[in-house]
Amino acid sequence: MTGKKVLVVDDDVDLLQGLRVLLNAKGYNVVFATDGLSTINTARREMPDVIILDIGLPAGDGFVVMDRLKSMQPLASIPIIILTAIDPCSSKERALNAGAKFFFQKPFDNDELLAAIRNATGETGENLQEQM
Amino acid sequence: MGIEIRESDREIVRILLIEDDPDDVLLLRQMLAKVEDNRFDLECADRLQAGLDRLARGGIHVVLLDLSLPDSQGLDTLVTVHARALGVPLVVLTGLDDEMLAIEAVREGAQDYLVKGQIDSNLLVRSIRYAIERNGLLEELKRAQQKQLKMKNQFLSHISHELRSPLTAIRQFVTILLDGLAGDLSPEQHEYLEIALRNANQLRAMIDELLDVTRAQTGKLTVEPQRISLAKLIVEAFEALQTSAAEKGIKLSSSLADDLPPAYADPYRVRQILLNLIENGIKHTEPKGKITVRVQVSNEDPHYLYAEVMDTGCGISPEESERIFKPLYQIENTSNTSRKGLGLGLYICKDLVSRQGGRIWVESQLGRGSTFFFTLPIFSLMDLISPILTPENLERGSAAIISVRVLPVEKLPSRKIDEKVLRKARGVVQHSILPDLDVLLPRITSADSGEVFFVVACCDRGGAEVLVRRIERQLARLEDLQNAGLDAVVSFTMVDIPSTGNSKSLEQIVQEVGSNIEDLVNDLHKKEEVFK
Repeated sequence: MTGKKVLVVDDDVDLLQGLRVLLNAKGYNVVFATDGLSTINTARREMPDVIILDIGLPAGDGFVVMDRLKSMQPLASIPIIILTAIDPCSSKERALNAGAKFFFQKPFDNDELLAAIRNATGETGENLQEQM
Repeated sequence: MGIEIRESDREIVRILLIEDDPDDVLLLRQMLAKVEDNRFDLECADRLQAGLDRLARGGIHVVLLDLSLPDSQGLDTLVTVHARALGVPLVVLTGLDDEMLAIEAVREGAQDYLVKGQIDSNLLVRSIRYAIERNGLLEELKRAQQKQLKMKNQFLSHISHELRSPLTAIRQFVTILLDGLAGDLSPEQHEYLEIALRNANQLRAMIDELLDVTRAQTGKLTVEPQRISLAKLIVEAFEALQTSAAEKGIKLSSSLADDLPPAYADPYRVRQILLNLIENGIKHTEPKGKITVRVQVSNEDPHYLYAEVMDTGCGISPEESERIFKPLYQIENTSNTSRKGLGLGLYICKDLVSRQGGRIWVESQLGRGSTFFFTLPIFSLMDLISPILTPENLERGSAAIISVRVLPVEKLPSRKIDEKVLRKARGVVQHSILPDLDVLLPRITSADSGEVFFVVACCDRGGAEVLVRRIERQLARLEDLQNAGLDAVVSFTMVDIPSTGNSKSLEQIVQEVGSNIEDLVNDLHKKEEVFK
């Protein structure tokens, strides 16, 4: 049981539920946000260890959210993992430049996502291959 | 003439003349003054820099440009002005002895050229009008293409996004169940969920296929023919499909003629075709069946390889054989329990084969199996070179073989060169040569010196040097190359062309020169080729 806290941001409630089951089973505390605006508030209140962020979001897309997070202390230091259905060709580089640590395209592989979370929260020093 | 002149054509045309010879300026001014209903406004600059300064202020409709100016000479003048005057048409002014340079200038983006001493006011006005008109059409075309491309990309990312999200949820919950996160599973439940997962993965592959077919329809499926070994690709395809064939107890075998000549095709695309046809065969063949791939030189046309993929499956009716290559076509077959695809595989195959100059068809008997045939051109250096070995070109007395190597700046042997950048670099080389005089040969991958493009050019040593410099200059401007950490090295070798004097027929000379060049390039090939 890791006890680390993960904030998952997505407007697809099915995906949120699926990730809750998966992450709870692996011992994480999971909190949610479903739009850009509430992400900032939730992050400030909960101070998660890692944020899993969608790009296509209502009320401020993933890039806007990332910019806000990266400009606010102490939120700026929380690692961000992008999980999106958007074509990586158009968005991956931009996301990584904006400060995201990893980029996953949906549908994703559970084990790869879990490895990325472990890496981002510093639970492991495992060397992770960047996802395409 | 009965051509209606639009009101917009009657607006003032503001011309910028960049010319340092006051006599020429005066002459052109007088010519324009002679034009009836004069709506030309001529501004002059006697230095390149002064011209660029004027251009920067905007409002110029067309530039008349002398290539030799006190502060800039030759083609560089044009290149500089063209880069700074985006969207403004250029007409080059040139001397009598400089027409070749002018033609080159047109290739570099000038709309037209005028030879000093041969200009009259009608010609001048027409050239200016045409330059503006042509440039306008070009710009319009560019805008339309960009708009279309943008719409297509938006459509693609939309489709991709909308299909991927629900698929993600399906895969997610199936894996949650499979991983036992919602409680233990009976073996039966486990098996059913595996089936669900397999289908979800298939759906994901179909989304990717859909993107491929959209690319095919917009002509975006790129094909770059090279000298390739079909035998090697067949071995690779068998390796990739061995497991799924073995699962159904289907045997894969091949029969290849000895000394099979290399094909002239895109290895990536041929692999895609082979995989598609063999996979189809596996899908439609009963357990314990057999799939055989044969390749030989075509009996009908010795310039082609003739490949067949034969299965012992259910077969296709004659009516179906005609429709099978159409998009979205599915075989009606109630007894077949295996999964239907999107019905795009054969359509993509047909597109790919015909793009490479071949044909694809099927022969089949219901219940007895099907055989898919396709042809691909045999690689022939002679065929590639012969179009430029015309009588006029042979008279030049020599030809140059220019090699363009694209290689990493730092020597890292394992490093793979970005395919996209290579295509761009190749495009730049293609753009630098003259279609009637020069030919760009398919590229060769080399173990220690990156990728090599060969150009055969009909010219003398001086011409070769000019061409080498042009290619170097163009590649130096390709930022992608530098960004990818790549360098381009250009060099050349001369080949003599025997004169027609010593009673040889033209045909003999073409043969001789062709085989000389062929030997030389083949030698280099042997040195360069990696056995991938």
